[in-house]
Amino acid sequence: MVNALPQVAALLPVLLLGFTGLALLLVDTISPDERSNTSMAAVSALGALASLAATVWFVASGTGSVDTGGAITLFADAIKVDTMALFFTAIFASVTALVVVAANDYFHDHANPAAFYSLVTFAATGMALLAVANSLAVVFVALEMVSLPSYVLVAYLKHNRGSVEAGLKYFLVGALSSAIFLFGISLVYAATGSLILADIASAPVEGLAGVLGVGVVMMIGGVAFKTASVPFHFWAPEAYEGAPAPVSAFLSSASKAAGFVVAFRVFTEAFPLELAASANIDWMFAFAVLAAVTMTLGNFAAAVQEEVKRMLAYSSIGHAGYALIGVAALTVDGPANGTVMGAAMAHLLVYGFMNTGAFLFVAMAERWGVGKTFADYAGLWRRAPVASVAMAVFMFSLAGLPPFAGFFSKYFLFQAAIDNGFLWLAGLGAVNSVVSLYYYSRVVKALFLDDPASPSALDTIDVRPTALYAAVVFAAVATVLLLPGFGPVIETAEAAASALF
Amino acid sequence: MVNAFAYVPAIVLLPFFSFLVALGAGKYLPKGGAFGGIAATAGSFLLSIWVAAAVAGGRAYNETLYYWAGEGGAGIGPTDIELTFGVLIDPLSALMLVIVTLVALLVHVFSLGYMNDEGETGLPRYYAGLGLFTASMLGFVVADNLLMAFMFFELVGLCSYLLIGFHFREPGPPSAAKKAFLVTRFGDYFFLVGVVAVFATFGTAQFAGPESFPALADAALNGSGSVAWTPGGLDLGTWLTVVGLLVLGGVVGKSAQFPLHTWLPDAMEGPTPVSALIHAATMVAAGVYLVARMYGFYVLTPTTMAVIAFIGGFTALFAATMGLVKDELKQVLAYSTISQYGYMMLALGAGGYVAAVFHLTTHAFFKALLFLGAGSVIIAMHHNEDMWDMGGLKSRMPVTYYTFLAGSLALAGIFPFAGFWSKDEILYEALVHGLNDPLLLGGYLMGLLAVPVTAFYTFRMVFLTFHGEPRSDTARDPEPVRWNVKGPLTVLGSLAVVTGLINMVPVQKVLGLEGIDLLHRWLDNEWGGIEGLSSHHYADIGPYSSAYLVGGEVGTVLVGAAVSLGLALLGLGLAWRLYNVASPTEHTAKLGGVKDVLYNNYYLDELQVWLAYRTEDVAGGANTFDQGIIDGVVNGVSSVSLTGSGRIRKLQSGVVSQYAALLTFGLVALLLVLGATGGWFL
Repeated sequence: MVNALPQVAALLPVLLLGFTGLALLLVDTISPDERSNTSMAAVSALGALASLAATVWFVASGTGSVDTGGAITLFADAIKVDTMALFFTAIFASVTALVVVAANDYFHDHANPAAFYSLVTFAATGMALLAVANSLAVVFVALEMVSLPSYVLVAYLKHNRGSVEAGLKYFLVGALSSAIFLFGISLVYAATGSLILADIASAPVEGLAGVLGVGVVMMIGGVAFKTASVPFHFWAPEAYEGAPAPVSAFLSSASKAAGFVVAFRVFTEAFPLELAASANIDWMFAFAVLAAVTMTLGNFAAAVQEEVKRMLAYSSIGHAGYALIGVAALTVDGPANGTVMGAAMAHLLVYGFMNTGAFLFVAMAERWGVGKTFADYAGLWRRAPVASVAMAVFMFSLAGLPPFAGFFSKYFLFQAAIDNGFLWLAGLGAVNSVVSLYYYSRVVKALFLDDPASPSALDTIDVRPTALYAAVVFAAVATVLLLPGFGPVIETAEAAASALF
Repeated sequence: MVNAFAYVPAIVLLPFFSFLVALGAGKYLPKGGAFGGIAATAGSFLLSIWVAAAVAGGRAYNETLYYWAGEGGAGIGPTDIELTFGVLIDPLSALMLVIVTLVALLVHVFSLGYMNDEGETGLPRYYAGLGLFTASMLGFVVADNLLMAFMFFELVGLCSYLLIGFHFREPGPPSAAKKAFLVTRFGDYFFLVGVVAVFATFGTAQFAGPESFPALADAALNGSGSVAWTPGGLDLGTWLTVVGLLVLGGVVGKSAQFPLHTWLPDAMEGPTPVSALIHAATMVAAGVYLVARMYGFYVLTPTTMAVIAFIGGFTALFAATMGLVKDELKQVLAYSTISQYGYMMLALGAGGYVAAVFHLTTHAFFKALLFLGAGSVIIAMHHNEDMWDMGGLKSRMPVTYYTFLAGSLALAGIFPFAGFWSKDEILYEALVHGLNDPLLLGGYLMGLLAVPVTAFYTFRMVFLTFHGEPRSDTARDPEPVRWNVKGPLTVLGSLAVVTGLINMVPVQKVLGLEGIDLLHRWLDNEWGGIEGLSSHHYADIGPYSSAYLVGGEVGTVLVGAAVSLGLALLGLGLAWRLYNVASPTEHTAKLGGVKDVLYNNYYLDELQVWLAYRTEDVAGGANTFDQGIIDGVVNGVSSVSLTGSGRIRKLQSGVVSQYAALLTFGLVALLLVLGATGGWFL
């Protein structure tokens, strides 16, 4: 059925997102003073869901998969649609839908909420484009298309000092990282004479291995910025903390996954493992170091935070460390190369739901006006039992406890890393998970066990933000349902990842 | 013909639905949901009869119905283990289905008299418990693999906890329920480890078929196959023994064998119909049934068999002696249950598979009968259970008396009641196999010694309760019982008399009549069954050979039967002399110091409590170690990490130029390391 469509139809998910963004922008331009928060949210959610539906349909019908004729390439190989691209697009579209629905309540009293929706949708378009990028030029343009709206989104609360300051810092670090990334690309081009991933891999590099190596490491830097990996993580805690909570959710889930799609695709296709071995460009080792440092630093820093949102920011850094195992625990002809990367992809999908849900819970707390610290969350379940249960699900799933989806994805990831001979990385991940249990359970303890500071402390909870509730509950349900549904997810992810090796 | 086996899940699900109905809507239903339970168990009973008839028609059923993990070998662990639910219907499980559903049905009917007519509250909870209890046991009976059996085994344990603690507002029942739960759980812990060991060793936990674990174990021991795994160089036979003993842990707990029998007398705190269900058909029977179910595995390891036989024989005698001095009706019955299950274990350990199943069957009927009879007496006595306050009930409640008497004669093993035949066959099997095996012979001798003791305490109970002069006002004017009590008693009373007829092996051997050993032929797949699950197969691969006393087989049969019957009559006679008088007195004082020991159950409860406290001491030591050293290390680690975290936090200074610097330094460091190792700068 899909084969009957023109090849360019494979870009349908990207196009749907893009046109939704344009439509939102158009409406906002025509009547900028109209405060049509709800209709804008509905349109953008519908666009995201349509994109998600198209993606799921493509995955189900096998578009671009190895079984049905392989990846679809377009525009002189600049674009390549395969199962991995669709898998990530599904993550981006789901998170976008959750975030825009939640934003409807969050921005209920914002002066001009309309631009928010078009910015989020454009960023999502950039991510989806990033997922299908097959040329370093497209990668960079798409990356900027993600970054620029993100800077604005972080600073979206114009009258809030924290938000504006965070946006500025994010922009400055981002500009530096983009420069590094772009410089890396230029060095790679200098050494190989091509920007198409497959051509880079096949280009002879005699004598220029050093140049290529420096370029590769600089590109790692760009990826590390997008995924908020150490030492490119400095922007993350401040941006996540200062930004409106739905934006933090969006950045820490979708934007991070976008960074990983670059890592997964560019490095395995442009610098395949064999080339890395023959030219002594051991980027896997670089990622292993980043993974180890990132997960350790993220988790340990999260353990001492007093504010829930900042804790989540650091935990998100820690999870980037876990996902980096997917590009770190690779060896030439390793038995589990596809498995470990597939497991990392599945982890990112699960993470997309549980982390977005957790940030949206914070968004709900901000909407209510309860404080930011753990202590301020004490006894919340008495007034908001459903949301608190959902938050507990997110926390335990993030910590990787059964019976939640986060347990399985982490289990498969560590298992695959061990199968590939990276016991030390998996072991470090396990130790970090133990640390993470400490600070995640602090949230649950505050919500359910602690007494409120004063009997009137919870009186600020006087509204029921329906859309936020819906988004949080949906994310919780997805986190739980991904447990029985984990089989198809991990199979799709592993098949998609195996196609790269 | 409609396939009866397609309805096997319904046998399990019907009581489960009655559980749901009683739980959800019990308080709106008449009789607190009793009729739903009766209808469900009656339906299960009829279906079980149909299934048994289908087996008699020459068929059997071994089918996996649901894969809940690892279907098609996709995925769990390196050995491609599949976790499934399935149904196994062979002669053994078909027989057990009939027994369980029949007893459960009668218990439900009896409960109308015992619970509803007595005005108990919380009836929906009671009937919900009964329904779930029955459903769990039936699920356990039809289980086709060890893991499924374990899951239902645990459900059975949970239900017994709920029902024993039914009167949770009084102090005794919750404590008894807790004890039953904890003691059986202690055994189940070993069982669980055993299940995992079976999976690890064989990659499957199926009971039947060529790929089942007993078959694989047999092949591996023959050298014609191999197992997936044994722990570090351990000899295969030794390892299989260990696995068998681990699973046996669960059996010892559930079937109340020494030393985990202590929960069962306390469990008398539950309502009497529940006791009947626990003792006759469900909880306690589950242990013995499990051994019979995986008998093909146990017969492969002689050591395990000897352990089973010895535990069984010892428990039979040991529990019987404690029953001698009890004052309460149900207490005597409780110890008799432990003792009788000891006999079954002795039979299983002695290679008497059929004998054990035979005794399981007869015991199910006469013990259910005795408990329901005791329940009837308790109704009449306004819930006073002290036998010294009874007496003379014989003429006032004749139906209860005569049925109770039939049950007692069966329990005491008096010819020609059901218990005589089954107990005789157990002792015969133990004797002929034990003549070559001293440990088994020891088991036999203890079993034999328990015979007169059993007869004595049984008839002490009968005489004290029903004979002589009434010793209290309630005994002079007992409350009458209704049809719903008498009906089940009559059914079970008849069964206690005639059940022995299903397996007249001694008669066959002595008189040379062929074909009256129905149960032998039933369990030998003569009508229908599954390859590898027949008594013949077990005898072929079992460790025992037979030897006979004077007069060959016939002589041994006669001598054995005469000795055990003589001893039983001896015990009965002594009880007659001491207690069948107008106003009997206590004779326990003559026992001297022994009496205190028996009263206090050999101080085993005290021993367990003492052990628990010593464990606590050890735990205290471990605690000190844990607090001081382990926690010290952990606290050290956490304080180091918190300090480290504090440092990391300081790294996040909020100054963007510092971020840019750190970022750049980090990148340069990475570049230098990779460049140096990769030789890029050369």
